[in-house]
Amino acid sequence: MNNDIPVQTLGGQGEVMAHAVDACVHCGFCLPACPTYALLGDEMDSPRGRIVLMKEVLEGGLPLMDAAPHLDRCLGCQACVTACPSGVPYGELITAFRGWSEPQRQRSPFDRAKRAAILKILPAPKVFSVAARLGQFAKPLAPVLPAALRSPLDLLPEHVPAMQPSADFTPARGVRRGRVAFLVGCAQQALTPNFNAATLRVLSRNGIEVVIPDGQGCCGAAALHTGARDEALKLVRANLNAFNPDDFDAILSNAAGCGAGLKEYPMVLHGESDEARAQAFAAKVMDISEYLGGLLADGTLEPTLPASRPLKVAYHDACHLAHAQGVRAQPRDLLRAIPGVTVLEIPEGDLCCGSAGTYNLEQPELATQLGERKAKNILSTHPDLIASGNIGCHTQIQSHVRRQGDRAPVMHTIEILDLAYRGEL
Amino acid sequence: MEKLALTTNSRARKPASAGGAHNALAADLTRLLGPRKVLSNLSERLNYRYDAIQFGATPLAVVLPESTEDVVAAVRAARAAGVPIVGRGAASGLSGGAAPTEPGLVISFTRMTRLTIHPDRREAQAQAGVITLAVSDAARPHGLIYPPDPASFRTSTIGGNLAENAGGPMCFKYGVTGDYVRALSFVDADGELHHVTRDAFDLAGLLIGSEGTLGLITEATLRLIPPATHTRTLMAHFPEVGACAEAVSAAIAAGAVPSKLEFMDRACTNAVEDYLNLGLPRGAEAVLLVDTDGDDLDTVQDELQLVADACERAGGTVRRAATDAEGAALWRARRSVSPALGRIRPQRMNEDIVVPRSALPDVVREIRALGDASPFRLVQFGHIGDGNLHPNILFDPRKEDTHAVHDLAHEIALVALRHGGVLSGEHGIGSMKRDFMTDAVDPGTLKALWNVKRALDPHLALNPGKILPAEGVDG
Repeated sequence: MNNDIPVQTLGGQGEVMAHAVDACVHCGFCLPACPTYALLGDEMDSPRGRIVLMKEVLEGGLPLMDAAPHLDRCLGCQACVTACPSGVPYGELITAFRGWSEPQRQRSPFDRAKRAAILKILPAPKVFSVAARLGQFAKPLAPVLPAALRSPLDLLPEHVPAMQPSADFTPARGVRRGRVAFLVGCAQQALTPNFNAATLRVLSRNGIEVVIPDGQGCCGAAALHTGARDEALKLVRANLNAFNPDDFDAILSNAAGCGAGLKEYPMVLHGESDEARAQAFAAKVMDISEYLGGLLADGTLEPTLPASRPLKVAYHDACHLAHAQGVRAQPRDLLRAIPGVTVLEIPEGDLCCGSAGTYNLEQPELATQLGERKAKNILSTHPDLIASGNIGCHTQIQSHVRRQGDRAPVMHTIEILDLAYRGEL
Repeated sequence: MEKLALTTNSRARKPASAGGAHNALAADLTRLLGPRKVLSNLSERLNYRYDAIQFGATPLAVVLPESTEDVVAAVRAARAAGVPIVGRGAASGLSGGAAPTEPGLVISFTRMTRLTIHPDRREAQAQAGVITLAVSDAARPHGLIYPPDPASFRTSTIGGNLAENAGGPMCFKYGVTGDYVRALSFVDADGELHHVTRDAFDLAGLLIGSEGTLGLITEATLRLIPPATHTRTLMAHFPEVGACAEAVSAAIAAGAVPSKLEFMDRACTNAVEDYLNLGLPRGAEAVLLVDTDGDDLDTVQDELQLVADACERAGGTVRRAATDAEGAALWRARRSVSPALGRIRPQRMNEDIVVPRSALPDVVREIRALGDASPFRLVQFGHIGDGNLHPNILFDPRKEDTHAVHDLAHEIALVALRHGGVLSGEHGIGSMKRDFMTDAVDPGTLKALWNVKRALDPHLALNPGKILPAEGVDG
C-alpha cells in the first residue's frame, strides 16, 4: 500500500511500520482469518481495515482516537499473518503502532489504573500468586461485580495452587546431550506450576540439562502488546543481560505468548544499539515443543510408555505458537509419538480462543464470544483430553469448557508427555 | 482524458472533516435503519473506498444492510440526496469496481449471508453477502458443489462474483458464475425490487457482469452439480513461455477437456515459492497446472496422458501429483499468485485479457517482449485453457512513473485486441480498463451500451465512472 508515513521522524519503529504498510496489497485474503471480522463483519475490524487506519493516523489524516476503538479490538492473534500471501508483518505493525500511540492516548483514570495494575501484577509471579489467591475467595462475588472486575475472576481456577519455585539447575539424566536455558514465565508459575515442573522433568529425561538464569524476568510481551514500550524495553534489556546465547544450545519457553515475545526482540530494538545482541538471542529461542520436536525428528527423543487406554486428544493451536511462531506440526507429532494417542483437529482451528494476553480484561464481551465458540468447536470433537501450549489459552479454554458442562482435562502438551513418561497417562 | 489514479494517494483521499459525517444522508439513513447498519465516522468510511487494486473517494456514508428492505431504503435515501451508489462485497476485486470514483453511498453486503440449499432441485438460494466457498461447503453434504471458484473464493461474496461474472480455474470445463445463475433479485436505481429469471429478456444475464452499474443484486438462485468422482493433477514446466501456450493449444486440439488449466510465469512461481515454499521449479520460465476429472478413472487418466504428451512434445517436463494433498498444495500455489506478487512491488496494474487459444503462443511472447522492453517488472499468469491471461505490471508509485504503467497496460490491451481478444475475462472493466473500451468496442456498440445504462439507471447514479468511457470522448 502506497504511503507517506514520515519515517524520518519516527525512527526504527517507523521503519518497521512503514515496511508493513508497504507490503499490504489490500487483497482481502486476511478477512476470513480475522476473529473480529468473523464476529463483527465490518471492514474496520479486519486486518486490512486496521492497516489502512494505522496508515492514516501515522500520516496525520485521521485522529488517533477515531481509529483507536477498532485497533483496540485486534487480538494480535496474527491469524492474518498466516493467511497473507504478500508477507505483511502485521504483528510487528500493530505492536510497533501500539508502542508509538500509547503515550498519546487519553484514558480515564479508571482505565489508566486498571492497565497499570495489570502491567504490575502480571509480570510479578509472587504478587500475581497473592492476587490470584485473593481472587479465588472473591469468585462468589463475581455475578454482582462490574464486567471489568468480573472477567478476570471468571478465568481463575477454583483452586489456585501454591507457588513452586523451580531449581536454578536441573541436571541431565543419563548421558548429557544438551544444555538449554529456560524462561520460567510469570502468571503460569502462579496458576499452573506443573507446566514448569513437567518441562524440567521431560528435558532431563531426554539428557538435556536446564539452567534457569538468574536475573531473568517477564518476557515483556504483555507490556509491549498493550503499548507500554518503555516498560517493555526495561524487561527486554534485563533478559538480554540474563541470557547469554553463547552458553546454551537453545533458550526455551513453554508459553507460546512468551516464546513469541522473545522472538520479537530484534523488532523491538530495530535501529537501536542492542539490535545485533537481540538477533543473536532470538536466533536461539525455541518453544519447548519445537525443541523436543527436533529430537523426535532426529530419532533421539526418548520413547514414552503407552497410554493406559486409547486417548483422543484435541490439540488447540495457540495463536502465538501457530501464527506468530509457525509451530504447528511439532506438538501434534509429539502427542502422536505416545502410543495410544490420537490427535483430533478442531473445527475453525485457526480462530483465536479470545484469551490473547490481556484481551480478556480489555474486551471482555468479544473475548467471551470467542471463548464460547472455541469451547463449542473443541467439544464437537468429543475429546478425552484437550491440549494446548499456552497458559492464556489454557485458562480461557478451561473456563469455557467447564461453563459448557464438560469435564475433559485441559493440559499443556508437555504435561501429557510427562505423564506418558511416568506411565501415568 | 484524465489518467487513472493508480495510487493510494488520489486527490480524493484526504477528507476535510474529522469524525462523523455530519451530512443529511448519514442522518437520514441512521433514522431509517438505526445506527448499527449505518457507518458515518471517518474511521469507518475510510475503509469503504478501496478494492484489491485501487483506492477511490471516501464515501459520505456506508450502509451494512441485513435485508433486501434495508437495501431498498438505502437506495431511496441516496436517490433523494442525489448521491451516487456503489455496491460492495468483500472488495477483493481487481479492476477498481468497488472503489467509488466520487463521494456517495456505499452499500456493503457482508451481513446479508442467508444461504439455503435445495438438494432436490440442485439449487442454492444465496443472499449477496454469502462467501463463495460457503456455497460448496453447505452443498457438499448433499453430494453437490458450486463450481465457480475464483482465486479469492475464501473471501469473495456471491454478490461480488455476480457483479464481475467471476471465473476461476474450473471455468475452462465448467463455465463462469453467470453459467450457474437461474434467477436473481435486484434493486434498481429507484429502489424498486425485481425478481428475474433467464427467460423473456435475459435481464439476469444483463445484470451479471454489469459491475453494479445497472442494479444491486441482493439474492441469487444458483445451480449446483455433483462433483466428479476422480481428479488427477499434473504440473509441467517449460524453458520458454510460448512453449507452454503451444502445449495447451495442442492438448486441447487433441481432444482433452481438462477441468483446470492454469499457467504461471517465472516471476509468479518465485513469488509463490517465497510465500509457500512448496518446491516449485524456480528456474522454469513457465509452469502449467492441469486437472482432469470425471466419473471414470481410466478416462480421467487417459485425458491427463493426452496433456502430458502435448507438454513433453512442446519441450516441457511433466510431474504428476502423487497424492490429493500434493495436488491441493499445487492449487493453493496458483490461488496465491495474485496477492503474493505484492512481495515484489507494492502496487500493480492487473490485466484480464482473453484471446483465442490459437493465438496464445504469439500473445504471451509479444507481451513478454513488451515487458522486457519496459522499465517495469511484468508477470503473466492465468486460466490459459480459456485464453484468459493476467499480465500484471508491478511498480512502486513513489519511484516509478504511473503514466508509463498506464501506457504499457494500454499496449498490452492492444495486443489482445489485435489478436481478436477482449479486455476482460473475469475481473471486469471497472475503472482500470475503462479507457481501453474505445479501442475494444466500436462507437455504435458503445452507444447501445450507454442506452442500456440510461434505460436502467436514468440518473446515472449506480457506480458511476465504471466500464463505460464518457460519451463523446474518442480513444
